[in-house]
Amino acid sequence: MRLQLPSSRVLFRLWLLLLALMLAFGLASAVHVLLNGLGVTHLSDHLPWGLWITVDLSSIALGAGAFTLSAAVYVFGLKQYEAIARAAVLVGFLGYSSAMLALFMDIGRPDRFYHPIIYWNIHSVLWEITLCVVLYSTVLITELLPVVVESSRRLQRIKPLVRLAHGLHRIMPVVAVAGMGLSLLHQSSLGATYGILTARPVWYSPSAPVLFILSAMAGGIAMTLLATLFSSYVLNRQLVPANIIDGVARLVGYACLAYLYLKLWSWAATNYYSHVPEQRLGMEILSENTPYNYTFWFGEVLFGAVVPALIMLWKRLRDNRYAVMLAAFMVIAGLVINRWNVTLSGFVIPLDWTPGVRNPLPVNQYEPALVEWGVAIGIVAYSWLAFTLAVRYLKALYPHAEGAAPALADHTHDAPAAPPPALPPQPAPAGGD
Amino acid sequence: MTMSENESQPVAPAPPEATPAPPAPAAAPVTTINRRDMLTLLLGSGMSLVLAAMLAEPLEYLVRPLVGTAADGHGAETGRKYHWAMVIDLSKCVGCDYCVYACQATNDTADDHRWNIRVDDETATGTVFHITRPCLHCRNAPCVDVCPVKATYHRDDGLVVMDYAKCIGCRYCQTACPYGARVFNWADRTDTNPRSPEWGEPEVPRRPRGVVEKCTFCIHRIDAGLARGKMPGVDAEATPACVNICPVQARYFGNLLDATSTVARIIATTPTLRLREDLGTDPSVYYIPPEGLI
Repeated sequence: MRLQLPSSRVLFRLWLLLLALMLAFGLASAVHVLLNGLGVTHLSDHLPWGLWITVDLSSIALGAGAFTLSAAVYVFGLKQYEAIARAAVLVGFLGYSSAMLALFMDIGRPDRFYHPIIYWNIHSVLWEITLCVVLYSTVLITELLPVVVESSRRLQRIKPLVRLAHGLHRIMPVVAVAGMGLSLLHQSSLGATYGILTARPVWYSPSAPVLFILSAMAGGIAMTLLATLFSSYVLNRQLVPANIIDGVARLVGYACLAYLYLKLWSWAATNYYSHVPEQRLGMEILSENTPYNYTFWFGEVLFGAVVPALIMLWKRLRDNRYAVMLAAFMVIAGLVINRWNVTLSGFVIPLDWTPGVRNPLPVNQYEPALVEWGVAIGIVAYSWLAFTLAVRYLKALYPHAEGAAPALADHTHDAPAAPPPALPPQPAPAGGD
Repeated sequence: MTMSENESQPVAPAPPEATPAPPAPAAAPVTTINRRDMLTLLLGSGMSLVLAAMLAEPLEYLVRPLVGTAADGHGAETGRKYHWAMVIDLSKCVGCDYCVYACQATNDTADDHRWNIRVDDETATGTVFHITRPCLHCRNAPCVDVCPVKATYHRDDGLVVMDYAKCIGCRYCQTACPYGARVFNWADRTDTNPRSPEWGEPEVPRRPRGVVEKCTFCIHRIDAGLARGKMPGVDAEATPACVNICPVQARYFGNLLDATSTVARIIATTPTLRLREDLGTDPSVYYIPPEGLI
């Protein structure tokens, strides 16, 4: 079944070379933007958010596996998911740091990136998101630190660090609950960023926050799943036991169904059953000027949710690793398309504030500039490189991996076993074994 | 670990302690409330009520400056003296763009960066009319609500202003403004003012790259004018440039809280409309509709 490929060392070097090129492209673009300002992008006063906001929204959503799987392990007592939860935390951290990189590039005054921490506007969903993202990144680092310490013999010689890591391990349930709260807040607030804007008929919707969090749960778990399965494939080594993969894949399937359910009702209420002129006109403008209709129905709905849900929930298909990888990829692609569509759709349709019958404002068009692609590619390369290195060097990342180094694996088995009892075993029915 | 165990202790095993026979935790589902529980419950809720009542005022006092209240933008009730407002008579406007140019000269804005714009629209019967749009200085400004750092805020006199030193350039205000009234400094300015000196001299410094800006109702004239005893809307030097320049006097400016001001009298006696009133933004710019527009 496996393809005959050049030796793995050659492949690994080629992969690093590719990432280095992408990073160089990204770095050059970033320097260009920082020196010359956002005028070098194709953004405008009528369409001020574009590709980078899509990157930002997508990477936060794709990092949502961290809070869902951590919650499964530490809050709902599904201990066995520890086998993949640490990788999810890493993916989460990479997602959030990518998002912060994208935002840093996207704001006009990156030198003032810390302002939301000093100047509070608690009315603003964007302020709440910023604070949550900062706090949640701290949570992710807290969750990740013990894994890093456990993975390195050298770090384990530093006793205070080991003690800190152990301490962190003990309070993990508390950290996981905090992480879940923060995630539930800002993942949905990202949808609210658009959903509360009354002046834009295609955005203004009470379902936006919930759609964002449901798709983030599906996409976030799918991202962790794909990263794990792909690494297993490349290393030719099972990183996570098959029954855990099976359970996680099913989780993605159910999340897709929940997302689809709300998505279809949301569509029906605002399109199918609605004759609100603004809404109708907006959709007409979108389908005339953009491939929105196709990207929505095929990219977001059919291939982004329906087909992957089928694959993930149909036992015979789910048993095939390649099918699961494909389905996870489709969920991820569907999510990115969704974040692009949401962002762009509201801007493409011009504002209508004039009191007459003619709408004199032009339709807004946007295609990212080369520097915008450059920065986006650089950010993607950063997260891929960090993940590659983590899989290679963080031995404790996958505690139940096939052939995990015994000395270190012992540590990891002891440690994670400790925290769950700390949580009073309220869900008495044996934790879903 | 120990902490969470201690915390959980009183919750879970409470029933066994209350019932005479402790070794029957399995039978706990039959919940009985005895006198002691009842007392605890009553006392507990009573105490919480008292505590809530006691804390309500200090808490509100603490929270109000953070949340802001309805009084933020509204306001005769707070004893304010001024609420600056503009009336634009669309039946008079000839679409000459003088107000656009005077604004550009005074506030030093480039052609693709105007604070005050003109567009042409038409009535249901096909009559073309011109509409100019400054910032509407909404009392419920969406831009103020969404700004993560309070770089844009309501002033007591109804103006929605920008703090260029706080703005991080996220452009959420641009996204939220229903009127497209906000412009972003995409690059460093190197051009010469396209409307100066014909239409006036720049009276404010250029804004730095990377921040959002918008019409201020010529706040510098209002503040300096009032300080010198001049009345905005009456004395030209305290009045926005766009109002002064209009050759057909289609723009009026003044204090809405003074019933004798021109703007207050027009609004009281003439039917006016405001843009997207359905959104509830409550703008401070009022339009006298052109003939044929309801």
